[in-house]
Amino acid sequence: MYQYDLIDKEFLADRSAEFRGQVARRLSGELTEDQFKPLRLMNGLYLQLHAYMLRVAIPYGSLNPTQARRLAEIARDYDKGYGHFTTRQNIQFNWIKLKDAPEILDKLAEVDLHAIQTSGNCIRNTTSDPYAGATAEEIDDPRVWAEVIRQWSTLHPEFSYLPRKFKIAITASAKDRTAAKVHDIGLLMRQGRDGQLGFEVIVGGGQGRTPYVGPTIKQFLPTDRLLSYLEAVLRVYNRHGRRDNIYKARIKILVAALGAEEFARQVEEEWEKIDAERADLPAAEYARIRAAFATTTFETLPARSDAFEIAKAKDSAFARFVRNNVRAHKQPGYAIVEVSLKAADQTPGDASAHQLEVVADLAERYGQNDLRVTHVQNLVLPHIKQDDLPTVFAVLEAAGLATPNIDLISDIIACPGLDYCALANARAIPIAQDIARQFADPDRAENVGELKIKISGCINACGHHHVAHIGILGVDKKGEEFYQLSLGGSGAEDASIGKILGPALPADKVATAVDQLVGAYLNTRADGERFLDTYRRVGLEPFKEAVYAQAD
Amino acid sequence: MKAITANRLLDGEVVFWKAGQWVDHLWDAELFDSDEPVETAVATGKGQPKVVVDVYPIDLVESEGHWAPVSYRERIRALGPTNEPTHGKQAEGGDVVEALRHASGAARSTGRVDLIRRK
Repeated sequence: MYQYDLIDKEFLADRSAEFRGQVARRLSGELTEDQFKPLRLMNGLYLQLHAYMLRVAIPYGSLNPTQARRLAEIARDYDKGYGHFTTRQNIQFNWIKLKDAPEILDKLAEVDLHAIQTSGNCIRNTTSDPYAGATAEEIDDPRVWAEVIRQWSTLHPEFSYLPRKFKIAITASAKDRTAAKVHDIGLLMRQGRDGQLGFEVIVGGGQGRTPYVGPTIKQFLPTDRLLSYLEAVLRVYNRHGRRDNIYKARIKILVAALGAEEFARQVEEEWEKIDAERADLPAAEYARIRAAFATTTFETLPARSDAFEIAKAKDSAFARFVRNNVRAHKQPGYAIVEVSLKAADQTPGDASAHQLEVVADLAERYGQNDLRVTHVQNLVLPHIKQDDLPTVFAVLEAAGLATPNIDLISDIIACPGLDYCALANARAIPIAQDIARQFADPDRAENVGELKIKISGCINACGHHHVAHIGILGVDKKGEEFYQLSLGGSGAEDASIGKILGPALPADKVATAVDQLVGAYLNTRADGERFLDTYRRVGLEPFKEAVYAQAD
Repeated sequence: MKAITANRLLDGEVVFWKAGQWVDHLWDAELFDSDEPVETAVATGKGQPKVVVDVYPIDLVESEGHWAPVSYRERIRALGPTNEPTHGKQAEGGDVVEALRHASGAARSTGRVDLIRRK
C-alpha cells in the first residue's frame, strides 16, 4: 500500500499540533463554540447525543495490520472497546472526549491515519473498490487514482469551502462496489479501443432528501487528465452551486437545474482554460504513487487447492461460508475473503477491539498485510491463499466474524440512527437486528438469495436507503418512530432510486413487513431472479398488496 | 414539568442543571414547574461556554412514579443507546432507568421546546 513519505508525516504531525492548540484555546475560552465548531469538524470531530464522535478516514478502504491494531488500541483506551465502520470507508468512535482528541490524532498520525476532511464542506474521503488489486474484473488498480485524489484534495485551498460536502467514488471493475453513481462524482475506469485507460465521469448523483442517479458528463477522460478535469468540475460547482439553501447546495441540484449537457459544456469550457501543465499530475509523481501499490507479490500456486476442497467437503459450515463470503481472486490459488460485521444481534458495522486485532493478525499471517473496509460496513481480507482458508475461517468463527451472509438479507446497512446521531429521527440499529433475527435461519437466507436492505434514521440517508432493494427510512410521527419502506433501489452498476411502498409502519411491524415482501418475491420469482430483478419485472403492486392488504 | 440539559464541553457527556451546577443524571436534575425560572437558568447556563454547550430545556412526563423526558430522543440521551444497554447512564440500572425505558410521550419536535426562535 501507499507509504507516507517524510512530507506526508510532517504534514500530519503539524495538523495534529494545530488541532491541539485549537482545543486548548476552546477550553480556555479564547475561542467560542461557534468559532471552534468548524475547526473540530474539519478534523472529523462531531458532538453527538452522548459524547463527541471522531470519524477517521480509511482512504480507499485500505488498512495495514499496524493501523488496524492502532484503531483497536484507540477503541480500547479512549472509547468503549469498539469502533463503527460507516458506509463511506470511515471508522467512527462514538464515545470520544474532547480533551483526548488531540492525543488520538497524534496516535493516528503515527500510523499514517487521520481524520482530515471527514466532515465539513470539502472533498471527503474517496471511496474505492475494496477488491482493488485482488479481483480479476478490474482493468487497473483504482487505489492509485484514489491516492492521487487524496493528495490533490487534502487541504486544497480552492476547494476547502465548497457550497456543501463533496464525495468522490472510483472503481475499475464492471461490478460496482462503491455506489459510484450516487456520489457527487463517480469515476468508472474504462479502456479505450487503443488500450488507453480513462474514466467515464458521472457527476451529480446523490442521496439525501433529493436522490439522483448521476448522469454521465464525459464518456472517456484519459487518466492523465483527471486532476485538471476534476478541477474544472469543482470550479463550476464552487462558482454556481447554491450557498443560500443548505438543502439545495449539493452539486446534484446544480447539475439537475442546468441539465447534464449544459453542465458538461460549462465544465469543458472551464477545462480549456486550465493550464494542464500546472493542474495535471506530473508523470514522475504518478510513477511514485503507482510504485507504492505494486508491492504485492503472489506465489505461483495451482488453481485448485486440495486442502481447501477437502475441508469444504467435510465441513458444511465452512462450505456455507465459502459459498457466501469467499470470492474469486485474480491469482490462481488465492481468494478474496469477506468478513461480515453483521452477526445476529451485532450492531451492523461495529467491530470490537479484539475483533480488529484478530483480523489484523490474519492479514499479517495469511493476507499480505492487507485489510479492506467496504461501504457495506464489512471487512475484506483481499489476498488469502486457498490453502489457508480453513484456518482463516476457524479463527474468524472463534471471534464471531464468520457469519456467512454477504449480500444476503441479514447483511444490512444501518446508520447509527437515533441511538447515537444528533440528526436522526428514529433508530436504525434495532430495526436491522429485528430483521436479522427474523431471517436467522441460514438456509432460508440463502434460499432468498441476494437482497440488500439498507436503513437510515433520517432523510440524510447515510444508511443508503434510497439505493436498497428494500430501503427503510425512519421518520418521526407524533413522538413515535415510524418506518417508510421503499423498493427497487440499487447502488451498484445497475443503480436506481427506490420507490416508496406505502404508508410508514410502526417499528414492531417492519420485520414482519420484510417477511411479507420476501414471501411475495418467493411466490413470484422466475428462475435465477434476485429480489431486485423480480421487482423490476412485476413492479410495486404485488409487494404493496403483500404488506398492506394484510396490515388491517 | 421541565428540566434543563446540555452537553459538557470537556467530554461531551449529557448533563442536567441542578441549582447552578451540572449533574450527570436526569434523576438528580432540578425540576421546574413554571417557565420563568427555566428561562433564567437556561440564560445562566448559556453564560458558561467553558463548561457546557447547547443548553436547552426539555419537557417531562410522569412515568411509573418518576419524571421522564417526553421525547424519545431525550430519553435516549438520558439513558444511553438502546443497542448497548451497558453503555451510558443506563448502565447503573434501577427503578428510574426502567421507568425511563417504559415512558412514552409526544414527538421529538415537541420534546425540545425552544427549537423555533420567536422574534
